[in-house]
Amino acid sequence: MPNIGRREFLKLVGAGSIGVGAGFKLRESIKHPQEYLIPHVMAPEDFSTGIATWYNTVCSMCSAGCGISVRTLEGRAKKIEGNPSHPVNQGRLCALGQSGLQVLYNPDRIIGPLLQTGKRGSMSFAQITWEEGLSKVADRLDVLRTANRGNRVCLLSQGVGGQLAQLFELFMDQLGSERLLHYDFDHPHTLYAANQRFFGEERLPYYDLKNTRYLLSFGADYLGSWISPVHHSLGFGYSRQGRPDVRGRFVQIEPRMSLSGAAADEWIAARPGTEGLLALGLAHHIVAAGHYQGRDRDDWTEALRAYTTNQVAEQTGVSAATITRLADTFVHTEPSLAIGGGVAGNHSNGVDTLVAVNALNYLVGNLGKQGGLLFNPEPAGQVSHPRQASFRTMLELAEDARQGNIEVLILNGTNPVFSLPLAAGFREALAKIPVIVSLSSFMDETTALADIILPSHTYLESWGDDFPEPGVGFVTGAVSQPVVSPLYNTRATGDILLGLAQQLGLSDAIPWNSMKECIEDGWRQIYERGDPETREESFASFWRAVLKAGVWGEKSRREFAFTLKKGVINSIGVPAPVFSGSSDEYPFVLHPYVSNTLHDGRAANLPWLQELPDPMTSVVYGSWVELNPVTAGQLGLTEGDLVDIESPHGRIRAPVYVYPAIMPDVVAMPIGQGHSEYGRYAKNRGANPIEILGPQMEQQTGGLASSATRVKILATGRRVELVKTGGKSRDLGRGIVQTTNGGPSSGAKGHSAKLNSIPIVVVTT
Amino acid sequence: MNVSIVPALKVLRPAALVAFAAFIGVVVGYWANAAFFPGTSPKQPIEFSHRIHAGDNEVPCMYCHTEARRSISAGVPSVSKCVGCHAEVATERPQIRKLMKYWNNKEPIPWIKVHDLPDFVHFTHKRHVLAGIECQTCHGPVETMDRIHVTSRALDGSSQLDTPWKMGLCLNCHKEHEVENGTDCWTCHK
Repeated sequence: MPNIGRREFLKLVGAGSIGVGAGFKLRESIKHPQEYLIPHVMAPEDFSTGIATWYNTVCSMCSAGCGISVRTLEGRAKKIEGNPSHPVNQGRLCALGQSGLQVLYNPDRIIGPLLQTGKRGSMSFAQITWEEGLSKVADRLDVLRTANRGNRVCLLSQGVGGQLAQLFELFMDQLGSERLLHYDFDHPHTLYAANQRFFGEERLPYYDLKNTRYLLSFGADYLGSWISPVHHSLGFGYSRQGRPDVRGRFVQIEPRMSLSGAAADEWIAARPGTEGLLALGLAHHIVAAGHYQGRDRDDWTEALRAYTTNQVAEQTGVSAATITRLADTFVHTEPSLAIGGGVAGNHSNGVDTLVAVNALNYLVGNLGKQGGLLFNPEPAGQVSHPRQASFRTMLELAEDARQGNIEVLILNGTNPVFSLPLAAGFREALAKIPVIVSLSSFMDETTALADIILPSHTYLESWGDDFPEPGVGFVTGAVSQPVVSPLYNTRATGDILLGLAQQLGLSDAIPWNSMKECIEDGWRQIYERGDPETREESFASFWRAVLKAGVWGEKSRREFAFTLKKGVINSIGVPAPVFSGSSDEYPFVLHPYVSNTLHDGRAANLPWLQELPDPMTSVVYGSWVELNPVTAGQLGLTEGDLVDIESPHGRIRAPVYVYPAIMPDVVAMPIGQGHSEYGRYAKNRGANPIEILGPQMEQQTGGLASSATRVKILATGRRVELVKTGGKSRDLGRGIVQTTNGGPSSGAKGHSAKLNSIPIVVVTT
Repeated sequence: MNVSIVPALKVLRPAALVAFAAFIGVVVGYWANAAFFPGTSPKQPIEFSHRIHAGDNEVPCMYCHTEARRSISAGVPSVSKCVGCHAEVATERPQIRKLMKYWNNKEPIPWIKVHDLPDFVHFTHKRHVLAGIECQTCHGPVETMDRIHVTSRALDGSSQLDTPWKMGLCLNCHKEHEVENGTDCWTCHK
């Protein structure tokens, strides 16, 4: 044993103690972390730990009104699926609907009432209580109401239906204001107007895609974004593969190949705005060839005199042979159906175009027939259309605001600063309105300009009801119920209005204490219209049954004997489209289309949809402008070149995507990106093509002719990498597309040709 | 040339001694933690005794853990369930007073989880309970414990206190009972 001095001894003891501590900590650090089991104070009735509870409710991501089933676990929403019982979507659901969870759990939600403390738009919001917020608004409204100036209040909402729409009506009526508007960018004003003119009713019919054998679609992207895409996709699937011996054929007529165009058997590009001319060309051939034998045959001959095949071929750029072939197939395939909308309706002649499409259906007898066009019965509750504001109405609103005729603007969910062209001057008009109140759940561009924000629940937290437009051929409706308790200090839109009504002393006219009561009241009427013999015993059991099923409907279909008025035939005709900007200075027609993922921009704050590749280009997280390879070649541009897209009304910047399926003199851009607010996922990403649109209107409805702006493309010399999942669209000599020439066994002599460098074999027969 | 390492060792010896002392310290510290602070039987916010409830009074397990037979998790009883009996029973005991304090404040009791499998294991109580497996097979003789210990099984089937579960123990049982797909990875790791 060596001698250890005092110093050494202390060193050893010190090292030993540090070692003990380190060893202790080491063992501690590799232990299983402590977790807690937090029980309920009171066990809730409707769920058990670890067992999913499904609630049926209604999707509110677009206006189609699909039924959804939401899977909840321990009181939290986990997954959204389609409700199999709902006739609109029959268990299916689109990507937008699936992403509803990210609306609920979005980190950028407004979590409580806010008051603008600085200059408007400075984003210096202070938190306030609901009582403060409501009384601030109610005081202002009360002053106006008692001074008989209630008409200086405007309520501008997104498209809503059912009892909430009814409540809006009542509330504004009590204030004495007629300024109640719904505004959605993609509301099909022209389609309603065309049906009003042709059928005499302002309602969407039921297009029986499911049972048709030959579909002509004039501009309607019915699989991607047009009025009720999930229902149409179901019909498409059945028509293609649901019948063992029949395969439905589809022809898509549009200047830029959409998702529906890609799924069609034939894609035909008519010059922008001439889709209606083409329809009349077909109609002319049908009448002239003697395929139509109705009593009013002479009237039709007279009305269609100017639309001979050759003339139409010249104006539309579609060959005469194609026109006659389409017309003949359309007549001889039964049942057939023509639909029109989307880009075809978004021109200055939109209504005339869609009337021409209706005429085609009339001439071959597709009306009221299975596989054709069926008429919808009166909906059982309120729908949004009668209050939908056209572009012209929005311009009038902006003008009123500039004149100082509007003192309070209440916004609900709609975002006109983003979804109106800059040329409308809406942002400047807002500056003239003394008080702007927003009920939005998110800080969108318009809400950012509000003075008071009273945030609404998301649709998964609130009561509501819906009567789908377009209908499904019979009367149907659905109640939307909360699937989770509210996450934040927000209130249902209806409850906010009821709160205001109470403070204004309007309880006599608006008697409900909560939105749930209001909806039950509406549905009591629906219960009472049922046959007393067969309906549920009491309203309570009816209500429970509707909530459980998530949908309600009446079986009877509507028989509608349709007679065409003579005046309608005489009014048929499609004038040449008018464009904003001269063709000399602005050589290209801008084709902005509603995105399959981000819709009209409302879904840009949902990361799932930002990262979902666009179905045609596979681009994610950004904007792009689609150019035909020929055009790109002429301009010396390739994929990723940044270009300025300039119209007479503005300029935006986006990278080029070379897209073979677009007309050479058309450039296309998806709508949805280019937000300056709207949360971390949407903000400062891409460009918004709506900004640069000219204030060109559809002549009859005043709807925005969004496909009628001319632009020029200016190279900037800068390049970016487009983020996309698809690789090269060309073979590049790699032998990916292997082909064989007919071979001796078939006996036919083939010769090979090259189309866009993809080798194909043409076998002569 | 003669080279000796002895001078070098002489210099290094004090340092080696210090390192050796530190190493001994680490071993002792590690052992002390493992032996005296195993963490396999944490102190709960209320000293709830399974011995009194499940043992002496023979309350069935699933009277409180109601979800075990129909859910992946066995479930912890809500505070209201405890109060359901203890509004009348043993109201003067200090632990019950603690319980009533939580109840009066309408606060949940933050129980500490004792039996915990890693997140990559998909274990479901429902299947095992419905197959007739006794709770004690995995959880040990709970009815004898005042404070719950992590328990696993020895190869002879007896309970091993304060030993965490290992995958082999699951597999032993699955093989023994010839469970359909019982040794398939995806049965548990999904």
